[in-house]
Amino acid sequence: MSIEKGKISSQQLLFLIAGFVQGSALLIDFAVGITEHQTWMVIIAGLIITAPVVLSYVLLSKMFPGMNLIQINDMVYGPFLGKAVSLYYIFFFMMTLSFNVRDVGELYMTFLVEDMPFVFLLVVFAATCAYAATKGLEVLARISHLFVVSGLFVIISNFILLIDQMDFSNFLPLFELPFIRIFQGIHIMSVIPFGETVVFLMIMGCLNRTELAAKSTFFGLLIGAVSLLGVAVRNTAVLGKTQTIWTSTSFQSIRLINIGTVLTRMDFLVGIAQTVLVFLKCSIFFYVLSAALGQLFGLKSYLPLVLPIAGIEVIIAATVFQSPVDHAMITQNAGIIYSVPLIFIFPLLSIVIARIRGLPKPEGGKEA
Amino acid sequence: MLGYIFRKFLFNNSLKSKDKYMNENTDTAGSNGDPLSSDLDKNLAVIKEILRDSSDVTFHEFNFGHDRRFKGALVFINSLADKEEINKNILQPLLYDSLMLHNTVDMDFTQIDTISRNILSVTDYLKVNLLSSLLDNLLAGSAILLIHGSNEALAVRLGKGKSRSIEEPGTEVVVRGPREGFIEDVSVNIALIRRKIKDTDLCVERFVMGDKSKTDVYIVYIRSLVNPKLIEEIRRRLNRVKIEAILESGYIEQYIEDSPGSIFPTVSNCEKPDKVAAKILEGRAAILVDGTPFVLVVPMVFIESFQSVEDYYARPFFVSIIRIIRFLSYIISTLGPAIYVALTVFHQELIPTQLLISIAEGRERVPFPAILEAFLMLFAFDLLREAGVRLPKPVGQTVGIVGAIVLGQASVEAGLISPIMVIVVSATAIASFAVPAQTDSGTVLRYIYLALAGIAGGFGVIMGLLATLLHLASLRSFGTPYLWPVVPLNLAGLKDVFFRMPLWSMTKRPTAITWDDGDPYNQGPGLMPSPNTQDNSDSQ
Amino acid sequence: MRKKTCLSMVKLVLYFFMMLTLSGCLGAREINDLEIVIGMGVDKGEGGQISLTAQIVNVSSSGGRPSSSGGGGEGKPFWNVSSKGDSIFEAVRQITHMTGNRLFISHNQAVIFGNDIAAEGLQKYLDFFLRAHEMRPTALILVAEDKASDVMDTKPETEKYPALNIAKLVETYGFTSHLYKVNMKDFASSLMSGTTAQIAPLLSIVKEEESEDIYVSGMVVFKDGKMVGKLSHDEARGLLWVLGKVESGVLDVSLPDGKGKAILEIMKAKGQVTPVMEDDKITFQIKIKAETSLSEQTTTENLATNEMFEKIQEASAEIIHQEIMAAFDKSKEFNADIFGFGEMLHKKYSEQWKKIEKNWDEIYPTIQLNINAETKIIKTDLLKKPVSPKKEEK
Repeated sequence: MSIEKGKISSQQLLFLIAGFVQGSALLIDFAVGITEHQTWMVIIAGLIITAPVVLSYVLLSKMFPGMNLIQINDMVYGPFLGKAVSLYYIFFFMMTLSFNVRDVGELYMTFLVEDMPFVFLLVVFAATCAYAATKGLEVLARISHLFVVSGLFVIISNFILLIDQMDFSNFLPLFELPFIRIFQGIHIMSVIPFGETVVFLMIMGCLNRTELAAKSTFFGLLIGAVSLLGVAVRNTAVLGKTQTIWTSTSFQSIRLINIGTVLTRMDFLVGIAQTVLVFLKCSIFFYVLSAALGQLFGLKSYLPLVLPIAGIEVIIAATVFQSPVDHAMITQNAGIIYSVPLIFIFPLLSIVIARIRGLPKPEGGKEA
Repeated sequence: MLGYIFRKFLFNNSLKSKDKYMNENTDTAGSNGDPLSSDLDKNLAVIKEILRDSSDVTFHEFNFGHDRRFKGALVFINSLADKEEINKNILQPLLYDSLMLHNTVDMDFTQIDTISRNILSVTDYLKVNLLSSLLDNLLAGSAILLIHGSNEALAVRLGKGKSRSIEEPGTEVVVRGPREGFIEDVSVNIALIRRKIKDTDLCVERFVMGDKSKTDVYIVYIRSLVNPKLIEEIRRRLNRVKIEAILESGYIEQYIEDSPGSIFPTVSNCEKPDKVAAKILEGRAAILVDGTPFVLVVPMVFIESFQSVEDYYARPFFVSIIRIIRFLSYIISTLGPAIYVALTVFHQELIPTQLLISIAEGRERVPFPAILEAFLMLFAFDLLREAGVRLPKPVGQTVGIVGAIVLGQASVEAGLISPIMVIVVSATAIASFAVPAQTDSGTVLRYIYLALAGIAGGFGVIMGLLATLLHLASLRSFGTPYLWPVVPLNLAGLKDVFFRMPLWSMTKRPTAITWDDGDPYNQGPGLMPSPNTQDNSDSQ
Repeated sequence: MRKKTCLSMVKLVLYFFMMLTLSGCLGAREINDLEIVIGMGVDKGEGGQISLTAQIVNVSSSGGRPSSSGGGGEGKPFWNVSSKGDSIFEAVRQITHMTGNRLFISHNQAVIFGNDIAAEGLQKYLDFFLRAHEMRPTALILVAEDKASDVMDTKPETEKYPALNIAKLVETYGFTSHLYKVNMKDFASSLMSGTTAQIAPLLSIVKEEESEDIYVSGMVVFKDGKMVGKLSHDEARGLLWVLGKVESGVLDVSLPDGKGKAILEIMKAKGQVTPVMEDDKITFQIKIKAETSLSEQTTTENLATNEMFEKIQEASAEIIHQEIMAAFDKSKEFNADIFGFGEMLHKKYSEQWKKIEKNWDEIYPTIQLNINAETKIIKTDLLKKPVSPKKEEK
């Protein structure tokens, strides 16, 4: 029934989620401009608000063992409405993926290889992600811990290298900003790094044992949140008031590393870590998008969809925004609005409806 | 016109080869499957006909028995058989010892069994009743005893032919550890393994492969440790191989490996019995092929390439440093030139100022772009290596000296190559020798990464690395994930990856390789040395 | 199976081909084609234009290989190129008319502003240096006493490149703590705070008969990016005491009985500032703790006694006090909050701060400092007693 035959362990789920959240480390810049030195609070608040929601995804997928999001939608909302909801999800996956692909392109365009054609960067990155997606969920899950560990390593080592430039009085005064900005920040945080874990509804059905699913999901979120926190704290402590003006706060703080004359110019460290983590995130998105589409169309395998999707993603990423400014504006404002129902409303609604209708019904013929 | 000739030529050619192949087929199928007749002359005639152009086949006909009423013939190939042994153990008992039998003992020497049980003083023999198996054994070096009146023949396997003595292998030299290495004779090789593992569960399964070469292939494993599925899989894959000849174990490797399209080897080979024994003890299976000292071991994991037998003979502290050096050297050997090119062509801002100025000074007169420079130097290095390997040793040294002086120094002096590039390439070259098992893959990767670095700088290299990682993670070798125990993560397995933990702490066999139902422990618990801390002397 | 392998190989080849054609090695810059800029100077040119001087490493003259050109480098190891433009970026691109290659400014160590630019205000010139991706936020900001281009022409005796020499002068501020290194990010950070005044080291040229040398003669104080005055060495150290940036330095203590001097080396210093706001009265409690060693004395008296130590410590604490007050008086004179007192208030009394933020310029001269300096002599280095004839010591 389900399009994915592979199985993953709950430990692998933990690393997948952690890596997925870490992959948004660059995206906290969206919030930094709004919440300034209180970003760290916003991350914690975002985690606290989103964790129960994400845990409800676990509950939902436990109610429908072995099924993915598309199948659950079909069962809960019926074949037509379910398809509509699934299409909404697929639209969300598609847009978010292309935003992330674009982020990587912009990162390289701005900091590392500024003379390279933008489309070329996008094509190469999307092709590599597509390659990862063709390898399937199992391979992605198996290597996820490498990504998480290397991400943590880079974050921690940067923290240590910058510790002499940190000024922790930059966090004072603790509460200064008006509540509306904090709220806006929390909204961004709960949607972008944490809320996007709604994609795991496509993956949780593949767990070989579901007992530990809730625990590993939570710890995965926690590891991701701690990494984001490390990045946010480092940026604020190092950059202070200037953190709101830079295109990428993380890059700017790494560029300040200067220990002796040897440990300096470590841009590549953060470059590699960022690329690698965003790569994991994009590959997960890529896989989920292909699998969801394949499931929706009732295909036996999603593999034929991967290349066309890669092409579409590149086209969206290259054309949908005019400039990074446009990108930031849309993500900060529109992007986080349309994804709210998908992240917060539909999964909860599904649980409620499933409870009321007593789903999943033991359908004798199919189950056997 | 030309096209017509060409086509005709091709057609003719293919027709011819097909004919030949079919003829051969019918020929062999017609006679070889026949049972032997009880008429000695007829049998000999058939054999003579088949081997008509082989001048080194000896047909020796004789009469024996105390009254010389039995007729027999011995057929063997001069070049393969040990004539002394034939005389001593077959002919002498038959011709002379039978004379000494008492007249009243009336034995029926037309029965092969009677002869083998009562007369011959050989142990390694085989009864054959088909012409095909008779020929197989004859060509493998056996002496064939044919008796008039019997439709069976006796194939006596004689002592081995000439083979090399056991020496220290050239590919895996150790400072500490056994110096013996495998040789071309497979029975000696099996003996070498048997001498290390004297266990009833050690199994040696024989296969004969190759239509023409009829090579002996053995699978060696420990029944209680190996996963039965693994053996089943090896048998299946070996049986699939229908080729003409197997001249080296590499032939088999290429027919049974998991991913022929990958640059990474998924079947390991080695020349040292102690190494093979250690791997068998982990639940792997060794594939021994007659005629080569290189033994295949499956399944292979990537980490194996960084482990050496000596790692386990020496104490763990130094070894752990060496392990890390090996990993680093693999990274340097694959990424060295690529990183240099990416940094100097795309990311000059990442080079410390003083270093950048010295690189710029060194490159001042170099007319080529850095990527071309790197390709030229790498090409020169690989050329030198290849030239050095094939040549006799003294000449090889000359090549090395000429290469080092001419290509290294003179090209820098002439301003063709920058000195830093020479340093980078030589460091790469040295590093590439530290991990012998992955030299092939390392060389390919080096060129790929270099090309990526030249095209897209650091971005290209990172994408290449990610693709490599994904590829490695998706590889399997006979059901074992290639990157085990790093991917998927196995904490017990990590004890022997980046660091080599003390032997007494590695109590478990590798779980991804050993049979789940077998004994997972290779030693008892708590074997950490706990010496008596008191002085031996009684004096206070 | 075989088909699949074949297909993946084809894909791989296609992928490579795609990369080749799409990129075509764009973005590649050979090192030979780089003009490595190690320092930049900004001056005011004629007609309100900017005169930009870039110091470029002259690779060929510096002689990478002595064997290549026999005589070695005759020319200067650096090349100062100047151009004019209405904006800094325009001037930077103008330079390519002279160099033939684009400037590569990732290795720029220092940006030196001429006196007239500093007086006009740095704010509008700073943007390029922060925005350009090749610029690093660690590049130092300095101000030349006269023209920046003069400073950059002065060739040091031991260093090859003036810009690297200047960077070194500032990087090693810790030996005296008479100045402080200010990089782009620090400058921008204080500029963004609104109340804190900015500082930057001031470069002067000493002319002697034949040689010219550069030295850092003090710190320049900016208010909202505009130069308002100058701090002397001692005043600068007064500032550093408060900021807690003093690393080492010399305390020249006159002995109380007027017999001579004790010279202390600062080993370790710590500064702590606590703002106290009572009604309208704003006081800053400044606590300085310094550990010193006796490194020189000019009297024959044995100073290494507890009584003498106490006296010296008291006197040296007084020196610190004076230095801080001197710096504070100067800052009141300029009405520039170089210490960042405003920010400290903001952090501790964020509610009240909102009310007084606008009037900070008026309030600043009225604030009180409550300085509590303590020094300790922790060692006397190699000598226990002074070098003196024995008879003195009775």
